[in-house]
Amino acid sequence: MGPVNRRTALKLMAASAAVSAGACGRQPEAIVPYVNMPERLVPGEPLAFATAVTLSGVAQPVIGQTFDGRPTKLEPNGDHPAASGSDAFTQAAILSLYDPDRSKAVRKGADTASWDGFAGEFLPRIEAHRAKRGEGLRILTGPSTSPTFFDQISTLLDRFPEARWHQWDPLGEENVLAGAELAFGRRLKPVYRFDRARCVVSLDADFLGAGPEQTLNAARFGAGRRVWGAKAEGFLRLHVIEPVLSLTGSNADHRLAARRGRVAELAQMIAARFGAENLPEGGIEEDARIFLERLVQELSAHRGQALVVAGAAQPPEVHALAHWLNETLGGLGETVEFLPADDEAPPAAGLRELVDDIDAGHVETLLISGTNPVYSAPGDFDLAELLGKVPFTVHHGLYRNETAARTTWHLPALHDLEAWSDARAGDGTVTLIQPLITPLFRGRSLFSVLGAFFGTLDADDREVLRAHWRRASGAGDFETWWRKSLRAGFVEGSAPQSVRPSAAAVPKPVAPAVEDEGYELVFRPDTKLWDGDFANNAWLQELPDPVTKLVWGNAALVSPSDALNLGIEDGNLLEISLGENRLMLPAMVAVGQAEGAIGLALGYGRPEAGVIGSAVGVDVNPLRRLDALWHATGAELRATSDRGRLIRTQEHSDMEGREIIRDLSFADFLHGTEEKDEEVPPSLYPDWDYPDAAWGMVIDQSVCIGCSACVTACQSENNIPVVGPEEVERGREMHWIRIDRYFRGEPDAAEVLFQPVPCMHCEKAPCEPVCPVEASVHDREGLNVQVYNRCIGTRFCQANCPYKVRRFNFYGYGDEQAYENLDDPLYQAAANPDVSVRSRGVMEKCTYCVQRISRAQQRADREGRELDEGEVRTACQNACPTQAIVFGDTNRKDSLVSKLKRARHEYDLLGELGTRPRTSYLARIRAVAASAGSEPGEGA
Amino acid sequence: MSGRPTTTPDQAADQTEARQGPLRGPAEYLPEPMSYEAITSEVMNPLLMTRVGRIWWISLLVSLALTVMMVVSILWLFANGIGVWGLNQSNIWGFAIANYVWWIGIGNAGTLISSMLLLTRQRWRASVNRFAEAMTLFAAAIAGLYPILHLGRPWFFYWLMPYPNTMGVWPQWRSPLVWDFFAIASYLIFSLLFWYTGLIPDLATARDRAAPGLRRALYGFMSFGWTGSASDWLRLESFYKTAAAMAVPLVFSVHSVVGLDFAAGLAPGWAETIFPPYFVIGAAYSGFAMVVTLAIPIRWAFNLQGLVTRSHLNVMGKMLLFLSLIMTISYATEWFMAWYAGSEAERDLVLFKFFGAYAPYYWLMLACNCVIPLALWLPVVRRTPKLILGVALAINLGMWLERILITTTTPSHGHLPSSWQIYTPTIWDWTLWFGTLGFFTLLFLIFVRLVPFISLHEVKQFDWQRRRG
Repeated sequence: MGPVNRRTALKLMAASAAVSAGACGRQPEAIVPYVNMPERLVPGEPLAFATAVTLSGVAQPVIGQTFDGRPTKLEPNGDHPAASGSDAFTQAAILSLYDPDRSKAVRKGADTASWDGFAGEFLPRIEAHRAKRGEGLRILTGPSTSPTFFDQISTLLDRFPEARWHQWDPLGEENVLAGAELAFGRRLKPVYRFDRARCVVSLDADFLGAGPEQTLNAARFGAGRRVWGAKAEGFLRLHVIEPVLSLTGSNADHRLAARRGRVAELAQMIAARFGAENLPEGGIEEDARIFLERLVQELSAHRGQALVVAGAAQPPEVHALAHWLNETLGGLGETVEFLPADDEAPPAAGLRELVDDIDAGHVETLLISGTNPVYSAPGDFDLAELLGKVPFTVHHGLYRNETAARTTWHLPALHDLEAWSDARAGDGTVTLIQPLITPLFRGRSLFSVLGAFFGTLDADDREVLRAHWRRASGAGDFETWWRKSLRAGFVEGSAPQSVRPSAAAVPKPVAPAVEDEGYELVFRPDTKLWDGDFANNAWLQELPDPVTKLVWGNAALVSPSDALNLGIEDGNLLEISLGENRLMLPAMVAVGQAEGAIGLALGYGRPEAGVIGSAVGVDVNPLRRLDALWHATGAELRATSDRGRLIRTQEHSDMEGREIIRDLSFADFLHGTEEKDEEVPPSLYPDWDYPDAAWGMVIDQSVCIGCSACVTACQSENNIPVVGPEEVERGREMHWIRIDRYFRGEPDAAEVLFQPVPCMHCEKAPCEPVCPVEASVHDREGLNVQVYNRCIGTRFCQANCPYKVRRFNFYGYGDEQAYENLDDPLYQAAANPDVSVRSRGVMEKCTYCVQRISRAQQRADREGRELDEGEVRTACQNACPTQAIVFGDTNRKDSLVSKLKRARHEYDLLGELGTRPRTSYLARIRAVAASAGSEPGEGA
Repeated sequence: MSGRPTTTPDQAADQTEARQGPLRGPAEYLPEPMSYEAITSEVMNPLLMTRVGRIWWISLLVSLALTVMMVVSILWLFANGIGVWGLNQSNIWGFAIANYVWWIGIGNAGTLISSMLLLTRQRWRASVNRFAEAMTLFAAAIAGLYPILHLGRPWFFYWLMPYPNTMGVWPQWRSPLVWDFFAIASYLIFSLLFWYTGLIPDLATARDRAAPGLRRALYGFMSFGWTGSASDWLRLESFYKTAAAMAVPLVFSVHSVVGLDFAAGLAPGWAETIFPPYFVIGAAYSGFAMVVTLAIPIRWAFNLQGLVTRSHLNVMGKMLLFLSLIMTISYATEWFMAWYAGSEAERDLVLFKFFGAYAPYYWLMLACNCVIPLALWLPVVRRTPKLILGVALAINLGMWLERILITTTTPSHGHLPSSWQIYTPTIWDWTLWFGTLGFFTLLFLIFVRLVPFISLHEVKQFDWQRRRG
């Protein structure tokens, strides 16, 4: 090369610039406008589609909100017959959809493979099985209610008669169905009508707790306790017998803590009082006797309006007994209805049969889908090892979880929001599931995978679904039927006719519980992780358990007297041994727990859940046994002085005699004449003037069951960051609405009180005058708003907030200092574009969902009309299954919120401070007034 | 520090007293008649001497190390956010605000001593006012750092200032923090001016005594061409007295406003009308204790027993005792009002103070602030440097605990029990706190080597007064 002249120099410069520009850094992204704009899509405007997500196979009907093709929020589908608010699982589904830990590729062993590669091995194998009529072929799925799936599996079993279908649900309701069979000779699924009941008895049934029917039950239960709306004539009274304080027990008027093994005995005593014969009578303590006396008296007083519910953890005999009681009390068809549970699905075998077959070497090919048995199977056998005995195993699921790690092949599945499918809701209504987004990864649905048995892995799910319904709908004009059903999200009138069973069999005595020296272990589904499926969902991990307020882990719940005997305190590590198995987990002294019972939440301690959920808490599945899934007796405990981690969001549970939650008996509410005497302290500042709307909220504490759906709904709607266990431990959780949980009375029989606390949006807001930069200001519609980009983070507002509802970003939780992988760009897709993500160092808080107010107002403006009453609904309000949260314009005298604000039992929290909150409360009404300090369980 | 006499001035004073009976009048504070030259040498020699003791160097290195720690803590804080501190959603202020209040309290006494004693013609102040004012300045400067450091977004601290801006927003005038911003700023500026004007004649003396070179030039520049003419003195005197008169309300305002930071809200334990005066007294109390804490080592290190006498310690001891009693009454008033006002939350908070999670600290605080200072009733305690230093250190600790407890008790035990949380400081809270202590010491060590740490011209005036009897 010759001497460098000007031209060469310039060329070199250009070349090096081009090299450096091209070598590293981000590939330039082309932003191109749509060539063909999708129909109805307006950039920045959300679209809504009816679909559903499933929990244990049961549909939770939702309206999915999507922005530019990206689902961001799920709202309950109000038109659906089973629609009734939402639950935390449904609200958190959005986050799971975008979980970067989801399985992204087909795997063979540890290697990445392809669907074609899988088809190349699997299809010939199926052909070989077909030649043997399906011998050696096994399919194991999780719980399902999908008619199309049932259809497909029936066809499959017809073609492969020797093949077998197994189902495994670690939280299955086998006892419920078996109980109905015992009573009525037929497997029936009871549906409870709490709305028609006046006296409800729960025999260890946590019907208000987390579960697929939670929202439906809660809505009906709430209707039985709501005193506004239709004129209330009576009031639901709830008696609960249970070992560990559940959400249902928390809402009880009268509660008896009893070991799980003793519930049957107590149930028989009740039945005996109603004339059942041949039942053994046992000895009974005084407090239990009083409890039963009162219960029996009330049941008799409410014939036709009485309801006895037995829990899934109770043996079939107790269910049969409950059915008999319901019949005796005239509740059949009134307070309890039955859905057929045996006519759609082909009979499925259980896990036990599968294990036996594997052991016997009968299984050659095993397809596992929608369940994670390696983690969730009980401790009687080592499924991981057993899977090694099967020559060809396939796992199909959302995650490469514990089971996937031990199968020959792993296939990524589709999230409900990516899939075409169907499922039945809690009331039996067929609910259609349509995708809100194209599959994010290379997943395929179970329909496609099962397609392999019919020769192809490339089946079009939509066509599979349509093909089934073309046959099953019986509609003359299928296309119209399809469009209508898809648009509505459900098939109208598809709930099966409720069955009126013949008379219930007279209960047979239950084998008496073996009286054991040791402790009783009570296994419970977790209110947040369910059976562990949600372990990698950070919203759910950080959602406080409604009763224990635990986050990011589980604990051994120990009754106060046992704790005293064992000499342990909260956080002491406890060694639990049951036969060969032993494990250590932190103890927590639990209020209202039966002596001798240890409460253990399932779903924790997963080794391969993902970045968020792995190794959080302790796995208690090894202590379970397949023949006794729900409790074990004879456990031994050893207290240690070592400390485990116990992270709770509320450390103090006593109201300290302060008037925080007001109480009222139903009788006082009906006949009370006392006028409201709210003495509002004077203020030097002039009153605000609201020419247009003035937003306000009323929270009805009579019906709030504490389920916490609102907390997750708010998190999803308002882009509330997760802070992680370390930060929660330091007391820095970010939820804008929290549910305060107080106990009243003696620790072993305390009454539980819930109080949802969002921002009060005070008229004389203490936060407003103290902010030096006017970041906390009052808007012209009554909202107390926080201007994030003006906030400099003095935190004076929170220092002066008597409700402590403001939340400070101590770190950049929302972006650069996010917990673990929560700053992954994929997760960012879950964010609501209408709400800014807050940066480090700013204060944030509940906004009354101001973005929804604005959107509604803009829409009304465009349409040239006034806002309708009830047109703006906050996220928490929408999610609430019991309508405990009412929001609206207090300037309108006809609005529901105005009416409730005028109610006699409406009051302001800490009203004596003169803050004049716009969020106010309705006193907590119970059938019997529990005045502060009185012995719980007395009265009546 | 060369040529330490065999008998210390304390011993000499004892002998004099033994001969002549207790000293009275100005002689109490200047026991030995000293020539102007002697006074100048006493103060100027340590200043202009090239060699300094090993202790000074060790102290300097230690405080420098602590200052580096402070800088690291601040950088770490800026890099990571205030999450590095032990704050939680209920205890949102913690150490930062508590230490701010403590420092501003320390910063209170210097100006108070100077101006109040000047106005009340307490001439003995001449021996202590200079370094008390320096202490004020340094403490107030450090205190001024905290409110900025504690911000979530400290780079926007200037939004507290009213300046024309494109946002069209002014500060929120109702916020005590804005009052605070002005109170600290004016107090800091004023303290600096007050201190500096008092310093000018002495800087001129330093200029005149310094060897030619950089040092002389520097002192020359700093003394603003002071000639010592009668007109210079006249101007100085009139300005100084006027400034003193203006300083007193400022001293009161700055700490009243700090009190209002808490009292203007409605949190139990904070929303008390007693807070502004209570904070002023607390500030004076901790400030005086800090003056004593500093005076004794200085007097020892620079052999100034002749200028800072035990009689000085004695009057300051009386002052501490007096303030201690007022503090005790203030505490008692708080308890009484909590009961008398009848608010459940207030009463509960008082019980929480005595028996709750922070109870050991509260009891220790009461011991340090109310019980230990009672020893000052005894003249021997007031006049024995070691004993009064012990009491002063106890008060420093007690007042620091008080600030910490005020800032953490109320948020830990507010209106809704569901939000009760305990505050636990992290390592970064401590490093910043000790770092600022080191920085304060560093500034002070440099100060005693750089400017006359005792007001020469005022001591001379006092000496002249003494001669006249």
